[in-house]
Amino acid sequence: MDFSIRAANVEDCKDIARMITELAEYEKMADHVKVNQRDLEQDGFSKNPFFHGIMAEVPEQHKTKEGHTKIGYALYFYSYSSWKGRAVYMEDLYVMPEFRGKGIGKALMSKVAQLGLAAGCNQLNFTVLDWNKSSLDFYLSQGCFDVTANMGYHCMRCEGEALEHLAQP
Amino acid sequence: MNFKIRAAKMEDCKDISRMIMELAVYEKMPDQVKISHEELQRDGFCQNPFFECLVAEVPEEHKSKQGFTVVGYALYFYTYSTWKGPTVYLEDLYVMPEFRGTTCGTMLSARTVLFAQVAKKKQCVRLQLSVLDWNTPSRDFYAAKGAQDLTVTEGWHFIRFDGQNLDNLANEAPKD
Repeated sequence: MDFSIRAANVEDCKDIARMITELAEYEKMADHVKVNQRDLEQDGFSKNPFFHGIMAEVPEQHKTKEGHTKIGYALYFYSYSSWKGRAVYMEDLYVMPEFRGKGIGKALMSKVAQLGLAAGCNQLNFTVLDWNKSSLDFYLSQGCFDVTANMGYHCMRCEGEALEHLAQP
Repeated sequence: MNFKIRAAKMEDCKDISRMIMELAVYEKMPDQVKISHEELQRDGFCQNPFFECLVAEVPEEHKSKQGFTVVGYALYFYTYSTWKGPTVYLEDLYVMPEFRGTTCGTMLSARTVLFAQVAKKKQCVRLQLSVLDWNTPSRDFYAAKGAQDLTVTEGWHFIRFDGQNLDNLANEAPKD
């Protein structure tokens, strides 16, 4: 199947928001999503964007039942390792179920890697849920390694009341 | 003990680099440190910096045994959650051992707090970091501050591509 990969623009935010919700549903955390189309437009397409996006698109003749041609995305931003320097973090990678198995996810991830290398990064980092075996298998088959399993790093988070408490001087 | 917390300047990068190595030694991975103060200067003080940094400084009369007055740092950068919006990632938080457990150590924690305040001013709704599973003092410290261990509670794992594997992946990107 023909598909194309390109940089996201502000008009893509409606489809990105739709697919963010689909991905959250798959990860069994749909009620966690607070970001909407408007937030994405402001946060990703203003003067100092918090993130960048890549879209996967299919031609009209392959659009979904609901009429979507934007059928996958990757969202990433630049980060930093105090040991290794510049890095790129892939926040989301998603392809709609009916378009999987055609190399689209791989193409999106490769594009993020290529852009990261061009920016001088030497790591591509992301997270995956331990029960998400199909994703983990896919990533491992592409040559990554599980930093948590191999090195023992745990992901920690402060938010809500805990973050507010932290902010009391 | 008198100390102050301030934004790092380019001239601090040598001290920050020294302390990055001290932290790596503590984490039993000193051979993993590949960057020096030069990369820190280039990447932290350019037009679109990759990170920001705060340092803890003591006056001359309280300098360390080797004569250092910059005795702690917090290195962080802004990230994004597609569920919650702008977030902050605390890459490193370190205070030299001889200044820990004293006001400076506690106050740097308070500085983490102040830094969380800065993060809130930037409308960040989350602060994230990582900690090694065997590092009980740090895990206890962050747990006491209300951090959740998402690896334990939700099963999140960090995954990485680097070196030849990253090059191979990038080479397979579709041509524009």
